Amino acid sequence: MKKKKMLLSQETMDIAMVRKVEALSGTSVRRCFQCGKCSAGCPMATFMDHPPNRIVRLLQLGQWQRILAGRSIWYCVSCETCSTRCPNQVHLASIMDALRKLSWDQDGPSKESYVQLANRLFLENIRTYGRQYEMRLAAVFNVKSGQFLKDMLLGPKLLSKGKLKVFHQKNKNMAEVEKIFSRIEEMRRKGEAL
Amino acid sequence: MTALSYSYYPGCSLHASASEYDLSTREVFASLGIGLEEIPDWICCGATPAHNVDELLSLSLSAKNLELAEQVPGDMAVACASCFSRLKFAQHILGENETKRKLVEKAIDAPVHLERRVKHLLEILVRDYGLEQLATAVKKPLSGLTVACYYGCLLTRPTDVPNLDCTEAPTIMEQVMEAVGAQTVPWTHRLECCGANFTLSRPPVVQQLSNAVLESAKTAGADCIVVACPLCHGNLDIRQKEIEGVYETSYGLPIFYLTQLVGLALGVPQERLGLDALIVSPQKLFRDKKIN
Repeated sequence: MKKKKMLLSQETMDIAMVRKVEALSGTSVRRCFQCGKCSAGCPMATFMDHPPNRIVRLLQLGQWQRILAGRSIWYCVSCETCSTRCPNQVHLASIMDALRKLSWDQDGPSKESYVQLANRLFLENIRTYGRQYEMRLAAVFNVKSGQFLKDMLLGPKLLSKGKLKVFHQKNKNMAEVEKIFSRIEEMRRKGEAL
Repeated sequence: MTALSYSYYPGCSLHASASEYDLSTREVFASLGIGLEEIPDWICCGATPAHNVDELLSLSLSAKNLELAEQVPGDMAVACASCFSRLKFAQHILGENETKRKLVEKAIDAPVHLERRVKHLLEILVRDYGLEQLATAVKKPLSGLTVACYYGCLLTRPTDVPNLDCTEAPTIMEQVMEAVGAQTVPWTHRLECCGANFTLSRPPVVQQLSNAVLESAKTAGADCIVVACPLCHGNLDIRQKEIEGVYETSYGLPIFYLTQLVGLALGVPQERLGLDALIVSPQKLFRDKKIN
């Protein structure tokens, strides 16, 4: 990412959005004193443009847009190591969830569309079938991401081992799951939920 | 002692890519005389994709499952590390955050049930059934077999949520393996991430992280790795051959679900433990170690 000089002023610091991240994640970014333990233990830090401790620092400075413009949040694998090791109980894994949700809601400027595609298909499957339907998830992901041959050699092997089920399972609560999804959408429309 | 009995939440993977985990769990419980009744029409817990982008949805799906669990008496038994983590997270967050609880109650249109105890299989074997009793039930001890116990991420982390064991130095899986006669090794990567659900969107990341796990286990002198998570299993077993290709190395490490090895020690016949579903075949290892 191109380095842009960071000017801090009331105009450039969006603290309201940071409060929203804190409300969503149930954790306070103000507790962080930049010890760096989160980044030291993060298995994905080398893939990120902003390492985990810098994510918190950027939030403290109201610079959430810089985070969303980067790729770090889509490289976090939710292993919970950062949250576990933080000496100040900053739940960074939950902050990452909150940031992803902000990006998701804005249909993000993120370049990491494969992860978003995988997430979207996963949730669509739950909404339609009530349970995850792995075969369809993998197949549709390959088609939609244009990687028709991805893991092509694994498919037949998994089928022969009984690891891929060709049909989804019937579930009595399919309609109930759809209701949960639509109620949440309704609550968001009315502004009752973050 | 009254007979132990649980309401069982297998999760989506155990009905598909990890069916051998489901099969072997049922066999082990039956063999030990522990009751296990599946919760009818349970739904997906939402796993990582749901909490990644929509916490309210994730909490609601878990709350719905806790409500469905009311149909079957007994503590909830969970095999998948990810489902276990999501259910425990939901109980933790909904228990302490009233605002979120009210939103979830509206989303599922029912009161939230938080009383049900959610337990991982390891907890049931060690704390409810008991290691001594487990050791007495062993018919074919796995002596000579050196296993690397792989916890991965979600069984123990973060602090205060799963409360299964210590976050940095857990021993619960080693305790079970030693009770059934296997030898365990100390190794560096037992708590490191395998790459988890990036297996779909970014396989090269999984190859890199899982390679480090396999390499560590091999260096420590393990014959095999034992896991309690379908995603760890998929990444280490299904992708092992491809990882060996990318990193020009050879591991040949069979990856077992913990219930498969416990089942073997309890004398359950191999074919009933889904061992033929493993991609890295354990047959050579079994021959070398005289395990049948």
